[in-house]
Amino acid sequence: MAQHVTTLHPERATAGGCSASGCGSKPDKLAHLPEAIRAKVKDHPCFSEEAHHHYARMHVAVAPACNIQCHYCNRKYDCSNESRPGVVSELLTPEQAVKKTLAVAATIPQMTVLGIAGPGDPLANPERTLATFRELSAKAPDIKLCVSTNGLALPELVDAICEHNIDHVTITINSIDPEIGAQIHPWIFWKNRRIKGIKAARILIEQQQKGLEMLAERGVLVKVNSVMIPGVNDQHLKEVSRVVKAKGAFLHNVMPLIAEPEHGTFYGLMGQRGPSHDELQALQDACAGDMAMMRHCRQCRADAVGMLGEDRGAEFTQDKIDTMEIDYAAAMERRAAVHAEIEAKRQAQRAAPPQTPNQAFVSVASIPRRRAELPSRSASRPLRIAVASSGGGLINQHFGHAREFLVYEADEQQVRFVGTRRVEAYCSGGDTCGEAETALAGTLRALDGCEAVLCSKIGIEPWDALEAAGIAPNGEHAMEPIEDAVAAVYAELSANGQPGERIADAALSA
Amino acid sequence: METLNCNRDRTMAYQITDGCVNCWACEPLCPSQAIQAAKPHFVIDAAQCTECVGDYAEPQCASICPIEGAILDALGAPVNPPGSLTGIPPQRIAEAMAEIRAR
Repeated sequence: MAQHVTTLHPERATAGGCSASGCGSKPDKLAHLPEAIRAKVKDHPCFSEEAHHHYARMHVAVAPACNIQCHYCNRKYDCSNESRPGVVSELLTPEQAVKKTLAVAATIPQMTVLGIAGPGDPLANPERTLATFRELSAKAPDIKLCVSTNGLALPELVDAICEHNIDHVTITINSIDPEIGAQIHPWIFWKNRRIKGIKAARILIEQQQKGLEMLAERGVLVKVNSVMIPGVNDQHLKEVSRVVKAKGAFLHNVMPLIAEPEHGTFYGLMGQRGPSHDELQALQDACAGDMAMMRHCRQCRADAVGMLGEDRGAEFTQDKIDTMEIDYAAAMERRAAVHAEIEAKRQAQRAAPPQTPNQAFVSVASIPRRRAELPSRSASRPLRIAVASSGGGLINQHFGHAREFLVYEADEQQVRFVGTRRVEAYCSGGDTCGEAETALAGTLRALDGCEAVLCSKIGIEPWDALEAAGIAPNGEHAMEPIEDAVAAVYAELSANGQPGERIADAALSA
Repeated sequence: METLNCNRDRTMAYQITDGCVNCWACEPLCPSQAIQAAKPHFVIDAAQCTECVGDYAEPQCASICPIEGAILDALGAPVNPPGSLTGIPPQRIAEAMAEIRAR
């Protein structure tokens, strides 16, 4: 397995054959992966971009303790309006977590994955974390188990992880250089002492790299998360990407730093900025030459429940779960039926020819290589097109209901997913959370740089506001597969003169 | 001062303040099982706490605690004073709080 993992070639997905020639069928973005890995990730919403349109995940907050400090984290924080890693409302015992997982799996049959991600470090709470996994692997064998960790305690727990059938592990690796690491992680707790500075960063990095190698050797699928911190590790992450890929990580997820003064974190209070959408995308593209990149991460809470981008945690509080009667055997049957239905739908979507006359659009993971191979006749720049979707890979959400937009980049050769834009403030309520602003103004800002926004329906007020902002609203592709619709709109925009000029006119007259 | 001295004379013990966020990190580390989960926050049983003397070079609870000021030594002084763990200068926190409140 380790060999398979270390010899991945993401570029294969783009090199010739069906996927590059636009034969009408959609390429499987995981096509370059060995079959065993594809089977593991194909219905995992966090590991497969395509799967996240169809399947849901949940985190249980059983792991409160942490063994390191990160400058983007504040352990005092607990706000139900916040959605970001490390934040959680209700700490669970392993028994409560198991019951909650069964309740969610019975209620949301699309749920395929149970992760433990905090609010501290799951492996700094090995008893609580492993007890939860042990129970679940016995009681809910149809649920995939994952864990994410800072890696400090990973090497000593690799065997326990394997014993509990956890076959997806995420390691957060922000640097492989202790001098850079020390600027991100001020201390670690190691061998009964608090260690600070470069010495601490060196130990953390050694443990992370060792843990990664051990997992890869054992065939456990490893994703690496990195937080992009402009001026600190942004350039360095390209090297991180190269190294972790060589050691067997199969996916790299570069996430933007979230830092606001009201979060009370070092970076938030000291004025460290996060990256812009463009900076993040440029770094992801730079890393993509070496590594399969994840771009659909929603940086969710340690107790998130539901599809990525949604949080149904409020439906599953302890008092509500206590009143639920769960027949898991029946739930498992229903889940299997729902999954089969989803798979049939996915199969049909993949096989269906695009609904547009232009068949040259395909969706691939890595664009730069393709560009180099193309004749230089094409001078038009790629266009970013935002999409409102509530799942299923379709344009099926009302503009006003969207809490996030998926952003695609289209050019004459292809459509590719480049990221998501949240349209609610990280904090939308309370007197200490964020500034008051209208939701629409925030949405316009989030959609900055997009030429058009596709949705199932849209009201007059946002329509006018979008037009005034130079973003073409478009409700004509409702219920169509996202990538086909984006390709069609790109074609319309291109045919109607220079993209980026008065595209709104084109959309209006279309 | 008198009270503090009195405390010290009575026992060698650390204390947890209401800055505690109940993260459980300290509880399994205590060599004397002196730490208990409680409401509204964890507590150290002064009769059991040994300040880790004889077990560890450094007091374990205070060495893993992520919250500045949450653990006091026998003299009532924070083992991890403001700024010592997060690197955030205390003055900056005060300024930021004032800025946020002024909004």
